[in-house]
Amino acid sequence: MSEKNKTMMHELPVEAYTSQEWLDMEMKYIFSKTWQFAGFVEDVAEPGDYISVQAGLNNIFIVKGRDHRLRAFHNMCRHRGTQLLRAVGKAKKAISCPYHDWTYDLEGKLISIPKREEEFPQLKGELHKCGLNLHEASVDIFKGMLFVHPDKDAPSIMEFFGEVEPYLGPHIVEDLVEYSENDNEPFYSREIKANWKIVVENYIDHYHLAHLHEGTLNMYDHARAEFGWAGPHYWFYEPLVPDYAKDVKNAAPYPLIDSVPEDKIGAYVPWLFPNIGITEGESSWNSFHVIPLAPDRTLVNIRTKVMNVSEREFTRQYTKSSMHKLWSHYGNKGKYEGDPETDPMASGDFMAEDVYACEQQQKSLYSPKFQVGAQAQRGEYAISKFQSVIKEWIEKYKDQ
Amino acid sequence: MSKFYKLQITDLRKETADSVSVAFDLPYELYNEFNYKAGQYLTVKFTIGGEEVRRSYSLCSSPVMEEPLRIGVKKVKGGLVSNHINDSLKVGDTVEVMVPEGRFTADIKEGNYKTYYLFSAGSGITPILSILRTVLFREPRSYVHMIYGNSNQESIMFQNELEQLQEQYFDRFVLVHSLSRPKSKWSDLWKSSKDKPYLKGRIDKKTVSRFIGEYPPYAQNAEYYICGPGTMIQNTKEALKDMDVPGERIFTESFGGQTEGADQDAWENATLIAHLDGEKIEVNVPKGKTLLRTLISQGKNPPYSCEGGVCSTCICKVKNGKVHMKNNLALTDEEVADGYALSCQSIPLTESVEIVYE
Repeated sequence: MSEKNKTMMHELPVEAYTSQEWLDMEMKYIFSKTWQFAGFVEDVAEPGDYISVQAGLNNIFIVKGRDHRLRAFHNMCRHRGTQLLRAVGKAKKAISCPYHDWTYDLEGKLISIPKREEEFPQLKGELHKCGLNLHEASVDIFKGMLFVHPDKDAPSIMEFFGEVEPYLGPHIVEDLVEYSENDNEPFYSREIKANWKIVVENYIDHYHLAHLHEGTLNMYDHARAEFGWAGPHYWFYEPLVPDYAKDVKNAAPYPLIDSVPEDKIGAYVPWLFPNIGITEGESSWNSFHVIPLAPDRTLVNIRTKVMNVSEREFTRQYTKSSMHKLWSHYGNKGKYEGDPETDPMASGDFMAEDVYACEQQQKSLYSPKFQVGAQAQRGEYAISKFQSVIKEWIEKYKDQ
Repeated sequence: MSKFYKLQITDLRKETADSVSVAFDLPYELYNEFNYKAGQYLTVKFTIGGEEVRRSYSLCSSPVMEEPLRIGVKKVKGGLVSNHINDSLKVGDTVEVMVPEGRFTADIKEGNYKTYYLFSAGSGITPILSILRTVLFREPRSYVHMIYGNSNQESIMFQNELEQLQEQYFDRFVLVHSLSRPKSKWSDLWKSSKDKPYLKGRIDKKTVSRFIGEYPPYAQNAEYYICGPGTMIQNTKEALKDMDVPGERIFTESFGGQTEGADQDAWENATLIAHLDGEKIEVNVPKGKTLLRTLISQGKNPPYSCEGGVCSTCICKVKNGKVHMKNNLALTDEEVADGYALSCQSIPLTESVEIVYE
């Protein structure tokens, strides 16, 4: 067995980015102990609608009752643990497992078992008092997003997000509509060959914006960025550069989001602990969901929302923007000359640039020569802070 | 237990043509005793025409604001006490008042993130107003969705106060009025139904399910509070249950309205054995008398306050025999199944009944 690599990233050892052991710990002590992003409110729009989502080690089933209230249960039939629950019946008043048709009501109480008397004589009295009800979980809404928590008595979602809420954008997310090229698919989805924390650290790194993205995110004024921490969460805001700000109405790629007052326009880019970022811009609003697949593989799903306007109005803005002279100096120029198809640094696409940087960093982690040489005290402060929050959560739950 | 304190009236406010709110001065030394939760009520005692009478009225004031205790009282047709309060009381009078009681309360805490559905009709607004104001003030993140039923625009109690709250908390407080016999003006003829700021009709099943469909909960921890006459409660509760709202999220308080009892089934001259404060009392129950009244007429001192089957102060456990409760608005089905009864509402159904005040 190889010796453990004790080199530090800042607060965490390098092995936290490469080992299955660390990922297992994170799954147990972070992803199964926090409110986890589960989609948008409209994913479970009508009574009887349901979805199931993976949240850390737990698969959670969310269903909307006829009282328009969401319920969440662990997606696990109490009979043999099968992950097959679905809402059934004309009125969608029941949750059932198709394997043996065990059925529960919308409060998770077991209400029927086929051949109960013959096959389960030990289950006497009322079924819902037999200790075989569904395990309850928690579900709530924050900023138009669904979140689940595996504990039935989880601390309220506002206790978790309350501190960072004042730093988020003024966008009224509920009034926006999702934009995607293909129905039922996120706007952007890609597997990145890097540890999930590398992806997060890239997202919250202010120092790289003016460099890696010098030709792609230069319509935002990085020099005037403000950022900090609120609870376990990171917040970030930067205004538009003056050239863009003065004609944003015509230059913005999509119609401006009207819930943002003129003097508040900019990019709000918070990171909500542990694995969901939101990017709240002048004309689009995005969720940036980071899902660890393996120590060195991470799935990123981006869902995007825009103003709820007609197709015609949308196209008109898009056309106006694409012809706007602003974009000849801003927003889409590769850092280097080259083939935009094969060289991410010539692509003019900031996501391609980030993915490239993350993957290249992950590769280095295995080198015996790897070390972090120095840390930018302001621009990279967030990175070591994020690592210390990770450490804190693991330590908090490890001994419980 | 049933101790009364003399409190002075500091303010009497006419809320509508047939209702007042009454504020009391609370001496500093009684602050602790009169500490209350939003939704609770006060029991007041008067001697009218030589007879001692008690009534309970819900507090409409909020325990988290710096303000005096205030109850809302609507005249009941032929009602002895409500008319007395409305017509005869003056600022400066003293009234005998018991400490706040009642189980129709919400657990209101600063960190809560909840959606409260409040359903009220007529003077049922009083405890609801207290809950409403306390939630809006104390829980800055919670939402309140409320329906208030009245017969017409003029019978709406606390109208100004409600309008102010709507203005101040517009982003998390929705109020819909429901009027069963709205007064129409000539100018209404030109208005479309959309312009009218109220629903027409009584609060019934359809109103309730439409209202929830239109204003679904945002914070998912939702609770449902209902206060009004018996039928309104029944309808609202049934509507909620039809929509699969779990029973433990529904809270009700009924204002008056007794059910017709099975008086004729009472056992005449049944024997009552009561265990009270360590004493064993044995007595016959005269026809038509409740267990509580029987004990009081014997000079005993059983706990009670509202005598309306609402407050549950007089709760006892039936050890032997059976009783019938004329009116039970306080105990849950489980409590009744466990043998609990309201002694102020209970008449004996068996030859002998044994009860314990625990």
